Parts: sequence; structure tokens; C-alpha cells
Amino acid sequence: MLRGIDVELRRGTLVRFHGSNGTGKSTLLRMLAGTDSPSEGRVEGRPRRVAYVPERFPGALPLTALGYVTHLGRIHGLRRGEAKARAGEWLERLGAAEHARTPVSELSKGTAQKVAVAQALVAAPQLLVLDEAWTGLDAAARDELDRSVAERVAAGATVAFVDHDPQRLVRAVDVAYRLEAHGLVPAEPPSLEAGSESWVRIVAVGPVGAIAPAGLPGAPSVTAGPDGTTELTVASVHSDGVLRALLGARPAWHVRAVSPTPDQVQRPTPVRERNQP
Amino acid sequence: MTALLGYQLSLLARSQRWIAPGILYVAVLAVGVQSGQPVLDSLGYGSAALLPAAAWLVRVCVTNEPPAARHCASAAVGPRRVHLAALLTAFGCTALVGTAGTVFIVLISRGTSTSGAVVVPPLAAAAAGLLAVLACTLVGTAVGALCNRPLLRGTGWAVALTALGALLALVTAGSPARSAVTGLVSGSDSGTVAFALVPTAAALLLAGTAAAVACALAARRD
Repeated sequence: MLRGIDVELRRGTLVRFHGSNGTGKSTLLRMLAGTDSPSEGRVEGRPRRVAYVPERFPGALPLTALGYVTHLGRIHGLRRGEAKARAGEWLERLGAAEHARTPVSELSKGTAQKVAVAQALVAAPQLLVLDEAWTGLDAAARDELDRSVAERVAAGATVAFVDHDPQRLVRAVDVAYRLEAHGLVPAEPPSLEAGSESWVRIVAVGPVGAIAPAGLPGAPSVTAGPDGTTELTVASVHSDGVLRALLGARPAWHVRAVSPTPDQVQRPTPVRERNQP
Repeated sequence: MTALLGYQLSLLARSQRWIAPGILYVAVLAVGVQSGQPVLDSLGYGSAALLPAAAWLVRVCVTNEPPAARHCASAAVGPRRVHLAALLTAFGCTALVGTAGTVFIVLISRGTSTSGAVVVPPLAAAAAGLLAVLACTLVGTAVGALCNRPLLRGTGWAVALTALGALLALVTAGSPARSAVTGLVSGSDSGTVAFALVPTAAALLLAGTAAAVACALAARRD
């Protein structure tokens, strides 16, 4: 039973909910997603495109993986051709392309969970609600989901999630709350475990005299390198987003090198904007 | 809504759960309708057979999706529209089967009153039959909507009440379905074609109210 919940989720933020079993995390997430309505109170200002990933996706669906994700894409408002193309892309990104023509009822638990993730991401949701969505995914798909979450947040969407792994997206979480018996309290995100994060160093050349574009995802640390280059170090979950921003900047940046960085060599001081409720 | 209906229709078509109510309807027709029988009598019988099939098909459609999958679709468009799509799918499929049944009955039946004294024109009979099909499908849909999720969650109670509700809707005086059916059957005695306009309008009102109640409660937690 949930009571006394008052929370505001902003655009472009990653919000984490903590809480022990039975505190109603799943119920709260389903109310956010709009699939359950509260018996008292209300949830307001939900964006148009909302997607939800349940903890366990049932195998009882008679549709194929591709067919199901395409249908959900259409329900989210995509055209038929676009829905089918994007459904195929997402199944491939999550490593389920070979099962695209398999009925969901014949999929393994892990692959069915990939289908659940694909249906949520297929239409680029503005609010994405993840209820332990990583459970059952293989390592590659978990990383892909991490990246996809960072990508949605960078695109201005709100992502709310619950996960049993306290280190999940720990560098990327903007706001965290803990569900307690009397309601929701702000929570400090757990501290980074040494070595739990990987970093990426990007060497890029910008227009003469330019510093890095503002508002890069993951707040990378920026240092001037030799020959007019700029070195940006960012948590690997955000590296794709930073590259995309650099290449998409006007005038565009030239990327010279991208390399993994050992954690202990160069850990940037976390500079984060924190959105308080 | 088109996308939702397409999704529900695919789920229904591939689930094989439509087979049982389909067999129920076909079996009742096979037993009760034979070639050369008076047309209005057979149309009345045929539309009555549709009511329990409609209620059953509504149960199939509203319980077809596992809850987690339903939550995914509900997040996208809201639980009310998801539920409405399930009800519309069941209604549409039953009405389509009933239309085919009506055409079949008109083709194989004898176009006269029960005694054979009065000629019954086939087109008028078909039109009256379609109205009765509509009334019975609507009442069956209303019974199914009121006797299943989200109003009744347990399988046992829901199945028992759906069956009982369908039976009562056929025999209770004042039920639009019963009025439509008896209109056809008693019209067969005199050879007059009764168009069940008022019962169909009442059935539409009933089904609309039942669907509104069910959809309003669709966001209740399971």
C-alpha cells in the first residue's frame, strides 16, 4: 500500500527508486506508467509516448517476437513500415535478431525479456518506466539497455527505474528516492565501487578556439590535449551520446580517437547537476 | 485504435481460444437448423445461439493477454482503450460470424411461414435476422463485459456467471435479446417479418453502458 507519495519527475532526468521488497515499488512504477490508477490522488502531466518494461515478460503470447514488437510500435503511433523496421533494429541491438520469427511462447526467459525491452524502446518513449528490466538479460543486452537509457535521457526523456543492483547506472542517475512505509524520501545514490565503472577517453578536434559543446551527456571531464585536440573522459555508458553530440554539433567536431581508459588512471571529478524535487 | 484492434485480432486469431466458442455456435446451428425449415424460425434460433458465443468470446479477448503484456500496451495508450479494443474485437468477430450464419440460414431455409401458408421474402427475412444478430451479439458482449475482468477476477466465478448471465439474457422477460428472438419466432407463425429495432436500440444502450463500466475500471490493480 502506497501513501503520501509526492514526487515530480523532470524531463531529461534518470530517476531511481529504491526500497525493500513489498514497499510497493512495482505499484508506484505502474502508476507512473499509467497502467494502474491510484485509488486516491492522481498522476499528472504524463507525456504522450509512455513505455513500460515489466520485471518478467510472460511467455504466453502467441505472436512472434518481431510481430509483437511491431504491433506495439503501431500502438505507440508508428506507421506499419516504420514499426516493423524499428522492431527489427531493436531486436538486433539487443541480440535477439535470430529469434525474430520465433513465437514469444517458445523463447527462453532471457530472450523474452529482450522482447519486453524492445517493445518499450521501439517508439522512442518520452517516459520510460523500467521495473527491474535488466533481470534475465545477458551481459551484452544489459549494457545495451544501459546505453539506450542514457540515450533516451540525453534526448530529453524521463526514465524511471527500479533494479536490485545498487550499481546499476550509478554514474547516470540524476535523482534517487527511497520508498519507506510513510512515503517517498530523497536518497543519496550509492557510492561508486572501485573498478565498477569503465571510462572512455575521446580525443577530438573542434573549431579553432572552441571548448567542448555545452550540455554533453554524462558531464565529461574536458582537458586540452596536444596539437589543438580536446580530450574528453566520460563514463562508457555515455560515450555514444557524447560522440553523437560532437558529430552533430554545428560546426561538427572531428573525432580522432576513442579508447577505453583504466579507471585508476583518469577518473574525472564527478561534476553533476542534481535536480532536486 | 486501429493498431490496438489489429493487435487484439492477431492475439485472438493465433491463440486458438476462439475455437471453443466457434464450435459452440456451429454445433448449435448444426443441431437446430436444417435445410427446408421455415426461415424466420431458424433465424431466431441462430441469433439466440450467438449470445453465449459472444459472451464467451469477450472472456477470451479480455483474458488473452498475460498481465505483464497488458501493462506494456496499457502504458502506451491507457488501460481503458486496451480494454475497449478487446471488447470491440470480440463484438466485431461475433457479429461477423453471425452475419455469415444469417446468410447461410436464409439460403438453405424455406421462405414461408411455419405453416407454409404465407410467403416470407428472403431479403426482408435476412434484414430482420441481421437486426436480431446485432441485438444478441450486443447483449452477449454486455454479459461478457460485466462478468469478467476487471469486474470479476477469479476464473471460477467469472466462467460460472458468464454462462448463467448468457442463459438469463436469453430467457428473462424484458431482455432485448429475448425480445428480438421471440419477435422472429412468433413472426414465423403468422408469416410477418418483425424488425427488432427497439430491442436492438436497447441492446446497444446496454452494451455501451456495460463497456463504459468495464473500461472505467480497467485501471484497477489485478
